[in-house]
Amino acid sequence: MARILVVEDDGATAEAIAHELRAHGHDVTVAETGEAALAAAQEATLDALTLDRLLPDMDGLALLARLRATGVQAPVLMVSALGDVDQRIAGLRAGGDDYLIKPFAPSELAVRIEVLLRRTQQSVETLLQVGSIQLDLLRREARVRGTPVRLLQMEFKLLEFLMRNAGVTVSRRVLFEQVWNYHFDPGANLINVHVARLRRKLELPDVPSAIATVKGEGYRFDAV
Amino acid sequence: MPSDRLRWRDVRATTPFRLTLLLGSVFLVALWATLATSYVFTAHELLARSDQILLMRANALLASPPAALPDRLRAEIANTTPGLSYFALLGRDGEQVVGNVDLPAPPRIGTPYAVPAAPGVHGPLRVLAVRTTAGETILLARDILPIQDLRIRLLQILLVSGLAGTALVVTAAMLLSIGPLRRVRDLERASRIIAAGGLGHRMPIAGRRDELDQFAATVNLMLDEVAHVVAQVKSATDAIAHDLRTPLTRVRATLHRMHQETPLPEAARSVTERAIEDLDAVVDRFAALLRIAELEASGRRAGMVSVDLQMLLGELAELYAPLAEERGVALTIDLRGARRVTADPELLFEAVGNVLDNAIKFTRSRVTLRLRERADVPVIEVIDDGPGIPVDEREAVLRRFHRASGAAGVEGTGLGLAVVSAILHLHGFTLAFGDAAPGLIASIELRASQR
Repeated sequence: MARILVVEDDGATAEAIAHELRAHGHDVTVAETGEAALAAAQEATLDALTLDRLLPDMDGLALLARLRATGVQAPVLMVSALGDVDQRIAGLRAGGDDYLIKPFAPSELAVRIEVLLRRTQQSVETLLQVGSIQLDLLRREARVRGTPVRLLQMEFKLLEFLMRNAGVTVSRRVLFEQVWNYHFDPGANLINVHVARLRRKLELPDVPSAIATVKGEGYRFDAV
Repeated sequence: MPSDRLRWRDVRATTPFRLTLLLGSVFLVALWATLATSYVFTAHELLARSDQILLMRANALLASPPAALPDRLRAEIANTTPGLSYFALLGRDGEQVVGNVDLPAPPRIGTPYAVPAAPGVHGPLRVLAVRTTAGETILLARDILPIQDLRIRLLQILLVSGLAGTALVVTAAMLLSIGPLRRVRDLERASRIIAAGGLGHRMPIAGRRDELDQFAATVNLMLDEVAHVVAQVKSATDAIAHDLRTPLTRVRATLHRMHQETPLPEAARSVTERAIEDLDAVVDRFAALLRIAELEASGRRAGMVSVDLQMLLGELAELYAPLAEERGVALTIDLRGARRVTADPELLFEAVGNVLDNAIKFTRSRVTLRLRERADVPVIEVIDDGPGIPVDEREAVLRRFHRASGAAGVEGTGLGLAVVSAILHLHGFTLAFGDAAPGLIASIELRASQR
């Protein structure tokens, strides 16, 4: 369970975000203004924050700068209706760790929070094991039930990301951003094909695939 | 596009330069015409006077008795100014009886004529030969060197005035051109900044109230209006972005919760599922439209770096190869020339990716991704063997929501190529469609940006 501060002035959106994060088992506090957010950040050590760019009393970027100045190191997911590229760049430059454009599915926000939380927690691991699949990050080796599987560089990165976020449904958009590092919509088919290829390489007879497709949401890596 | 440095070829192309040169040439021609006319008249006058003197003297000599002529001539020779007048008397046999000059024979009788040179004489002579009643010939000659000197001097004046005049005219033309040319350059620089999205920039005004100032002021007035309209559109877009996206987020969240958490009959579940999908489609199109608007209005130069085209296209091919393979399309990569361009790598990747995605979607059996150089400009070509785009639709497919007639039944929003077009326009690059017979060639020309 992680402590997450949701800074969002729109009550309904804040409620939807909080509900989704609580469903993921997190302890959520909501702040509707910048001042309330600063106060909340002083009260408890946070594991992550979601931050709306447009708040009634201050700009999200200014708030982020003040939070960082008071020693808040937790990863920050910027959330904004300001969707243009320069705004995203400005958000990330100001110290945001990810940027999500409204409207979004609350589950997508939850996934991005999971990704941010796991990034800070697991970055030192070099051997990933989920169910029967093992990934040696140093030797760049993947094994399914001990049998080595030949993966291309991108397939390896994709598998690493899915395994690090095992149990979490990740959207195609998140995959494309986090694995390929591109921030545009390449269309559903392209990512589907890459996932399908990886899935085929990891296939085991009589065992359901480790990568499940969640209709309308994305993909989830499960222990098999 | 001219460079910022003033070059001779730019100076000589200006209107002030050409006009000054034209006026200067007219002035020089007029000057030469005046000098030539005065020379012709003066030379003619001098010659006529010489001829008159020669005739008067000849008549005076002819009036003397033939027997006294030799003595008369001797007296004339003795009295004449040396080097100015010459006399000779030739006998009936043509032999010289008396004389101080040896002129070429035979003489032309009756009319004065010119002799370029004679032994012991400095310059050209004007000669008159007359016949006496006794059949002898009197030759009278006058030195016409001053007339020749006058011609030489006038020619020298023509030459010097021609050279000096030409130099003066060219210098004046250059001086008159450089000032306006510099100002035109300043205007060009300003317009490039404005074209690149710097709508706050204005045309420089020199304060001379001349035609360039008037032009700049008119453009500035126009820019004020454009900036005003753009600001209004931008604030409307921002308002739409914020005021529409927030409720859309709420609706989507509510639907999602209902779908996830409420026990619903199967029919209701599929309805909410479709509603979420439709909402996502609306949001995607909305995002694409805002993105096009943003790219079109953008002065975004921050992302511009030197991009290795081979590396970028290699990565792109790697990304799309599985998609091509799954559709049974042979994707061929043919990259030649290690070229770099200044571009936003992520945007360029997106644009070429979109074109490649279309080719894979519409082709029959193969797609080629090619990098070439055409007249020193790198060109990315995506070639397929699909139905192609009819010639009269090739412009239209770049517009929002336009889908080519051959695209019916293929999934798409009609916004992809509009995004590509906006991205390429931002870079100053161009996209053109050609016929691959059969199929389509999409050529992206990466001309170095002048913006």
